[in-house]
Amino acid sequence: MTLPSEHHRSWRRWRPDQQWEGYLFILPSFLGFLVFVIAAVLFSLGISFSHWGLTGFKEWAGLQNYQALLRDPVFWRALGNTLFYLITIVPSQLVLGLAMALALNQALRGIGFYRLIYFMPVVTTIVAGAIVFRLLFSAQGPVNSFIEGAAALLGFGVEMPNWLGSTRYAKWAVVFLTLWKNTGFTMVIYLAALQGVPRELYDAAHTDGANAWQRFRNVTLPMISPTTFFLFVFQAIGAFQLFTEPFVMTRGGPANSSLSVVQYIYFAAFRDIRMDKASAMAWFLFVFIFIFTLIQNRMQQHWVYYETSE
Amino acid sequence: MTPKRLLPLFVLFASLALLVSACAPPPPPSAPAAEAPAAEAPAAEAPAEAEQVTLLWAFWGSPEEAKTHQMVADAFMAEHPNIKIETMVEPWGDYFTKIQALWAGGDPSVIPDVLFLWPTPRYAAEGVLENLQPWIEKTGYDLSDYWPALLESAMYNGDVYGLPRDIGLEVLYYNKDIFDEVGLEYPNDSWTWDDLVAAAEKLSIPGERYALAMEGGKYQLWVGQNYGSILDDMRNPSKCTLTEPAAMEGVKFFADLMDKGYAMRDADLSQAGGDTAVFLSGQAAMIIQNSSRVSAFNAAGMNYDVEVVPIPKGGQRSASAGGAAWVMSAASDNKEEAWTFLSWLQSTDGGQRLYTESGEIFPALQSTARSDAFLHQDKPPANRMAFLIEGENAKVGRFGYFPEWGELDGSIISPAMQRIWAGEASPEEVLPALCEQVDAFLAEHGYPK
Repeated sequence: MTLPSEHHRSWRRWRPDQQWEGYLFILPSFLGFLVFVIAAVLFSLGISFSHWGLTGFKEWAGLQNYQALLRDPVFWRALGNTLFYLITIVPSQLVLGLAMALALNQALRGIGFYRLIYFMPVVTTIVAGAIVFRLLFSAQGPVNSFIEGAAALLGFGVEMPNWLGSTRYAKWAVVFLTLWKNTGFTMVIYLAALQGVPRELYDAAHTDGANAWQRFRNVTLPMISPTTFFLFVFQAIGAFQLFTEPFVMTRGGPANSSLSVVQYIYFAAFRDIRMDKASAMAWFLFVFIFIFTLIQNRMQQHWVYYETSE
Repeated sequence: MTPKRLLPLFVLFASLALLVSACAPPPPPSAPAAEAPAAEAPAAEAPAEAEQVTLLWAFWGSPEEAKTHQMVADAFMAEHPNIKIETMVEPWGDYFTKIQALWAGGDPSVIPDVLFLWPTPRYAAEGVLENLQPWIEKTGYDLSDYWPALLESAMYNGDVYGLPRDIGLEVLYYNKDIFDEVGLEYPNDSWTWDDLVAAAEKLSIPGERYALAMEGGKYQLWVGQNYGSILDDMRNPSKCTLTEPAAMEGVKFFADLMDKGYAMRDADLSQAGGDTAVFLSGQAAMIIQNSSRVSAFNAAGMNYDVEVVPIPKGGQRSASAGGAAWVMSAASDNKEEAWTFLSWLQSTDGGQRLYTESGEIFPALQSTARSDAFLHQDKPPANRMAFLIEGENAKVGRFGYFPEWGELDGSIISPAMQRIWAGEASPEEVLPALCEQVDAFLAEHGYPK
């Protein structure tokens, strides 16, 4: 019993004499990271504290860019929309992804084909997807025709909105596109997690007389909770950074009703030539996501179950 | 989400590829090269001028438009053998990002010497544009030939920084077949808003045909016709004036046309493919748009004509005086030659005529518009005089000529107006709150200055 673990330990032993080789191996990618990520990110922090025009630095601004942001109603609108995306997209993506994973976690014939189908949107170009969704959700588009037709069959009439032309519904069209695009990814990660749940646990629960729901509730859910946590954090960050979906589908309209924060950053930088304002927003968003993720991390001890922690 | 994390990398490679491809192609060889031997004779007489100067000329546009630009460049080089024009063309969506990046990079060897640009005041405020005023005074270039108020769109701090190429004023296009079918008389230059509404009632068929299609963003036309305005001063504003009765009536007139089903709602119009598409398909009997649609309607062989836009009783014609302008980069190493090219582009015998004859623009220079190049083309629309009448009455008002206008309009004014065009709120509900927001924005940015 002790032998393998000793062997294991020696394999992992710290070898300071080989350290420089390790650094050499990561050097190329680290240099790129340093120049194109770290340096650029720190640079934008500097821009956010200055007045910065098309050709560069004008003067130091202190906190002025951030203060102006707090007074900017459009920024708050964009932040509100982004939170809307967060609370609609993330939970539905988790529930749908898990449901799909459960359905596809079976030894059916051709199961690989079904998995492929559901995963396909993930590898589809988002711009192409957005253009198709724009057609689907147009006033006389297939979505409205289908719902109206179905309602007529059931004997009542509904008046469907012009999704993309309505300040109330444009956001929802963006939500549906994002779900279509990303749920396949959630499904694949959940599939892997489900297959990692030991069979013995189910057998034991079965022996104890637990029904299917109880087995799901008390075995499956706790066992995959680390995956749920990972997906939750990952997708929350993705929702905060939503850009392409609303940008291609609605350009943030109508009346800024689908404008996301990252989209507003883009407009500030490249439409209004306000790099300083754009940088300040980017950092504000970073701090916001950071705090949000920190809270998630603290909360995880209440609901995430790690086998090894016992 | 993995694809998302790859996105920045992809963008990086894509932009690198773009950069490389933009630099790679050698200058167009054919025409100028053929011209070169002929050019050597005068060059030999004056050795000082023998050195050929190369100008980089940037513009946006479709492949067809790029062809017209190249034709213009060739014509200029034939007349000026010592100046060589290299072109740089990008689609509209990428053009401004690219130009901004070049200016931000600050390398004069890759920054275009002469560029097509909009809005000029925004860039002049950043200090990247050459002030053209001294050049105009030095060479006696004639500014009086421009349509009234048009140069305002290219001025900053009282000086001219750009020469507008065209003027984007709107006229009323109408489908003669639909008018004949309904048995209506064609529009004429005495039409008022009431005549327009009366005709619209007859022309529109609910669920099938709209009388009018017009982009929501052009609402200021109605406001201006009624002596209203968006801001009290479009150059140095102190407050929003959309709540004043004249402006409010103009907005309401447009909103009513939509509420009654006479005019297409903005979102429906863009989903249907824009005014060109709905006019071609007969889904709209009339559109209000600038001259850029003429070539499409002619190519489709439509039976149509144009007329001046109807005005309210006692109102004024109020076409918007604005158009993208040729500007010179302050970083140019060859300003003398750049000015030669710029002023040639904006002369009736030079670029203006060529662009006008191509059918792509309504020219900025009155002399060009009144010449055969525009008036006596043997193509529709027959009533080209309508453009001239609107041009003579063109006014400032559609755009603000201060640096923050793009942000104010893009983030605050247009989004608020969209609620009206979507039929979700009335002008009375939207405009007071909008004006409060606009006034707060102006105060925040230190206006009036």
